[in-house]
Order: sequence, then C-alpha cells, then structure tokens
Amino acid sequence: MIKILNALIAVVGGVAGAILLYWLLNKLAELLPGRWEDRVKPYLFLLPALAAIGLYLVYPTIQTFVYSFANNRSTEFVGFENYAKLLTSKTFQNTLFNTFLWILIVPASVIAFGLLIATLADRLRPRGEKTAKTLIFLPLAIGAVSAGAIWKFVYATRPPGQNQIGLLNGIWTAFGGDPVNWLQISTLRFNSLLLMVMLLWMQAGFAMVLLSAAIKGVPTETLEAARLDGAGEGSIFFRIVIPQIRTTIITVFITVLIGVLKTFDIVYVMTNGNFNTNVIAVDFFNQLFTNRNNGFAAAIVVMLLIIMIPVLVFQVRQFRAEEAAR
Amino acid sequence: MRIRSTFAASVTLGAVALLTTGCLSSGGGGGGGNSNTSKNIEIMYAFTTDQETGFKGEVNKWAKDNGVTVKFTQSSDFNSLINTRVQGNDAPDVALFPQPGIMKDMADQGLLADLSDIVDKSDLDSLIQGAVETGQVNGKQYAIPMSINVKSIVFYPKKAAAAAGLTQPPQTLDDLMALSKKIASTGTTPWCFGIESGAATGWPATDWVENLMLINNGSDVYNQWVQHKIPFNDPKVAETLDQMDQLLLADGMTNGGRKSIASNNFNTAANPMFDNPPGCYMYRQGNFVAKSGGFPDKVLADLDNTVGVFPMPGKTAEDKPVLGGGDLAGIFSQDNQSAKDLVKFLASKDYGTNGYAKTGAWISPRTDFDTSQYPTQVLGSIATFAYESTEFVFDGSDQMPGEVGSGSFWKDMTAWISGQEDAKTALDNIESSWPS
Repeated sequence: MIKILNALIAVVGGVAGAILLYWLLNKLAELLPGRWEDRVKPYLFLLPALAAIGLYLVYPTIQTFVYSFANNRSTEFVGFENYAKLLTSKTFQNTLFNTFLWILIVPASVIAFGLLIATLADRLRPRGEKTAKTLIFLPLAIGAVSAGAIWKFVYATRPPGQNQIGLLNGIWTAFGGDPVNWLQISTLRFNSLLLMVMLLWMQAGFAMVLLSAAIKGVPTETLEAARLDGAGEGSIFFRIVIPQIRTTIITVFITVLIGVLKTFDIVYVMTNGNFNTNVIAVDFFNQLFTNRNNGFAAAIVVMLLIIMIPVLVFQVRQFRAEEAAR
Repeated sequence: MRIRSTFAASVTLGAVALLTTGCLSSGGGGGGGNSNTSKNIEIMYAFTTDQETGFKGEVNKWAKDNGVTVKFTQSSDFNSLINTRVQGNDAPDVALFPQPGIMKDMADQGLLADLSDIVDKSDLDSLIQGAVETGQVNGKQYAIPMSINVKSIVFYPKKAAAAAGLTQPPQTLDDLMALSKKIASTGTTPWCFGIESGAATGWPATDWVENLMLINNGSDVYNQWVQHKIPFNDPKVAETLDQMDQLLLADGMTNGGRKSIASNNFNTAANPMFDNPPGCYMYRQGNFVAKSGGFPDKVLADLDNTVGVFPMPGKTAEDKPVLGGGDLAGIFSQDNQSAKDLVKFLASKDYGTNGYAKTGAWISPRTDFDTSQYPTQVLGSIATFAYESTEFVFDGSDQMPGEVGSGSFWKDMTAWISGQEDAKTALDNIESSWPS
C-alpha cells in the first residue's frame, strides 16, 4: 500500500516538479529584455536535458578517462602505466585477440544466416513460413543468462563412465568417442567459436525479421524485369535483392556489432573467461569487481570506447546519407 | 549551424574536462564507525539458508532474555556492502566477517572495538587458537570466531574403501601417497576431484594447494606465503604443485582423468564414490559438501553408515594441521553495551546449544563444545579434527588480495590443471598479478 502511495507521489511530484521547473525557467527568460528573451529561451529549455546528459554521460566518461591514468584505488596518477601493463600482458593480448575474433566472425555470420533463413522462408507457403520464422525468432526472447543455462546442457561434460547429460557429448559418445571437454579446447580458439554459436543462435532471428521484411519490400517489377532479361536466381539475389536491401543489412550489421562489443553474459556464464575465452567486457568486470583495480578497469573501458568510435561515426554518417537521399 | 554546434560541444566538453581533471578520490578515509548506544542493534552477516535460520533462532532467544532488539541484515555481497556502508557512515553495530581480509582493513582504520576487555579470557582460551589469532591485528583482538568450517577433510565410502585397503586413516602425507598408489595399482582411481564452480571455477584447486602448503611447511611459512612475505612462486610452492601432480593429476589417480577436473562440479564430484563398484575412493573437500545438492540423497539419509572421514594427515603422525575458515564477529558501535553483550554471548559456552548445532549447519569454534550435539557422527568427527588440531589456519585465498585470491589464483590453477599452462607459468602469472 505504502509502495503504491510512494509511486503515486513520485509520478505526480515528478511531473509537477518538471512543469514548475519549466514554468520558472520561462519566467526567468521573460525577465530579459525583448530580443534577449528569444535568444536565451531555447537554451534555458534545453538546460535540464543537457545537465542530465552531462551528469550521467559526459561526466562519468571523462572521469573514467581520468581514472584510466590513475592507480588501482584511484588515489595517484601513474601515467600510461595501466595501458602499458595491459597491452604487454599475454593474457590481455589474448583477450583482445578473442574480442577481434568475435567482431570479425559474429556480425558477418549473423547477416549470412539471417539472409539465408529469410530467403528460404520467403519461398515457403505462408503457414510454413510463419512456423519457421517463429522458431528461429524464439531464442531472441531468451535472455543471455538463460541461453547459457540451455547451452550448458549442450556442451556439458561428465567424466568418462558416467552418464553424459550434454547433448554434444551424448551424440559423440554414442558414436564411440570419449567424452570431450568442449569448452576447454582452445586450439584454434575452438571454444570461443562454440560460444559465438550461442550469440549467433540468439541473434539470427533478429537479423531474419528485419532482412525478411526488406526482401519482401523489393519491388516485384524489378525482379520480373530481371527474370525477363534471363537472369538466374543467383544473380537476381546478388545483383537485385542485395543492393536494394543494403541499408537494412548495414543497420543489422552495426546493431549486432555493437552487441558483440558488449558481449559479457555469455562468456561470464559459460566459462568466466577461463580456458582462453576471455573477452574485453568480462575482463573489465573482473578487473573492477574481483580485482578492485579501478585503473585497469577504466583503461579497458577507454580502449573499448576507442574501438567503438569508428563504428559509431560510420553509423551516424550512414544515417545522414540515408536522410539526405530521402 | 554545424560549426557552431561543434564549437559549443567542444566548449562544453572542455569545461567539464577542466572541472573534473585531477579529481581523484582521497583514498581510504572518510566514513566512520557507529555511535549507536541504544538497545536496538543491527547485525550483518553473509551466510544463508539453514545457517541463517538457526543463527536467528539462537540470537533471538538471547535478545528476548536480555531485552535487546536485533535487526538481522543478510548480504551475499558482504564485502562490497560493508565497505559502502562504512563509507556512508552507516556501519552495522555488529558484523560477522566471512573473510578475515576485510575485517583487518576495518581494524586498521580504527573502526572496530578492541574485544580483549569485552570477551572473557576463559572464553577466548576455549576457542580454537588459530582462529582466534586470525582475529588479531597488531596483537589486539578485533574479532572473534563464532562459526567455523573445516576444509582439510577426506571423505570416503565406508564399506567399499575397507575392501580396497583403506582400513585405517593414513597417519602421514607419505602414508596417504602410498595408499593412493596402492589403490591406483588395483586399476581404480583413488581420488575424486572437481573444481568447476560456475564463475568461481578453480577455488577447490586452490584449497588443495593451500592444504598441501600447510602440511609441508607448517603455519608460519603458510602465513608468510599468504601475506606475500615470500613470493607466490617460491620453490616451496612449485614443490607442492609437483606433489599435487603426482598425487592427483598423474594418469590413473583421478576419476575421469586430469582433463575432466575443470568441468567436474565440486558439489557432485564425489558421487562416483558411491557407485558400485566405486569410481574413486577419496574426496578432499570442506564439510559443506555433505549436504543436499552435494552427496546423493540416499547417502545423506544414512550418512554415518555410508561415509567415513579422516583429516588430511600432517607431515609426521604428531602434526595435525587443519585448513578451515569461519565467520569472525567484530563490533562497529564501540560504546554499545548490547553489541558487546551479544559478542560475549557468541563466544560463550551456551551459544549454539539451543538447537543451532542440531541443524548441522553450524560448527562451534569452541574446543570444549559437546560434539554429541551435532546431528551426525560424521559432523562430530569433523568438528573434532578442528578441536584437536595442532595448527588451524584460514583459507589462504580468502585472505589474499582480490586480484589473486579470487582472480589469478583460481584462473591459473584452472589453466594448469586443464593443461593450458605448465606449473611454472601458472605460478609466475599469479606472482606477477600480485598488486604492489
């Protein structure tokens, strides 16, 4: 009861407070002489939003940047020591390499799978298409940690002689193999690939839905014209469909890419970065919350930010270009 | 417009940067203890389930008899929360520290009451001395143990083990090695071993290393190693890993082989012990595996008849070192009589006799505690190992800095056992991760 009351007070009080604030700001602007009132008013109205962004986004970013040059308890500056130590450590180099593998492999395969499924489903009868799409889309609704719980049963390993509860080992041992510790095989980063399969499984549905809609949006006239000109299915797909859905592909690619850079839960739940599967976000978490090393954690975040910037710039440019073309 | 907005943005950014640059925290400082002197006291702790329920029952009865109101605050993230609360001037009156490291930090900052004059000398003397010493900083008693756990226990299947030649507990580490080899020669692996524990994978391996370090070198060297007065990759540690290699990791010593250890959950790793014929005969782990979720239910239902226990032996038959852990009680509100009385009660003979010991979720740190109070003989024997120990030390990884104790030590031991790193690389990595 008290909670409901609190919520009500918060809602009413919040809205009333906002109105009062803007009313005051407006009054303040009206005190100014004529022309100045018009000049200042927009900025005054922008002020609360800017202040919020400054407080919750800009300030922490800069503070993180500053902390990345300080020691583990953020009490003294140490120059570039954090970066130097991280970048020369073999473990962190491996972590970076894994992260690049994720960036290289996952978005591209998500697009490939999404396109494949979208194109194939497009050829099914409506009922079949709906069923297929629903099934593929389903994993998207599952959280990463729950996905981890599911996939643990796929990769699970029990010592030889015991019942294998893992799907992969169940199949493997049925064919006479000895149980394999899938997530411990770091040769050629096989275990990282197994973890990437999980993200692929989760994200393929998302790519499929957007790409499928785009494919359906390709005008039939162009397709018919191509067919009349004697184009095969292959060249229709690559020369007509793909160029027309290019912007959707890029949007999906960037969304997945940003998701990949933030990948944390899958790795944390499945291996916690053990067996050479560490990625940058898990390393950041462990540096901050296990090792309590603010300096390393901040330096890792700054590096992540630097990796992200080109992606963001590209996305903004792309968006502008699209707007301009409209 | 474009230029102007870029200009405005850079000015804003620049201004914020100027305002914040050089802002570092002043370090440590700030915050304080607790000046509460009322009869309403708050107690904070990390343990859960049966251990928590039994504890509340025990303390509530005391509180009722003494006209005190106790507020119970459980936190599974005890270490972070206590730090935050101390910094915010909101420390609880009494804290039951699950790990000694953070308690020593607080004592160093002068936040904890000196218990030497509060707890009776006779009570202090009845507690396990190793655990009492863990509560001392610079010779002063800032915390006392109010619950312990024992980690250097070997569990074995009673009937099957006798047939395999385990008729009496090994008296020395050499005996244990000989026994392991004897069992291995019959074609069955002597040991069960698993170190998988979700995000905390690796800690059971660190317990093994600590246990062998303690047995080989005694508590003095052990504590020096834990406090980094000798380097982590000291030759003594390398020898210990070598020993562990022969005892556990060599072919035919562990059920499922070396490769299976890192993916085998520590809770259920011992279960092949109860198969017929057993997959392995011995499992070294803390007293907490003998509960639901660990040993199979049918074993737990008849624990005393199916499971035997012996302590990890010392180097000689006279040595009885025990590796364990426990919760340490300290007082933040230094002038609060009720808080003092509560801690006095926790150290007293009566504490735990009101049904808490019967739950089996708690082991008393008092060496004169009546072991028949425990629900099973197994638990009684385990408690006796601790009471009769010649040395009792706390889990070392819990006392090391987080980077090592719950970071590199776990991870590099996992990498070593699963074959990703050799022993030397693993030890060197841990040493280099130690914060300066």
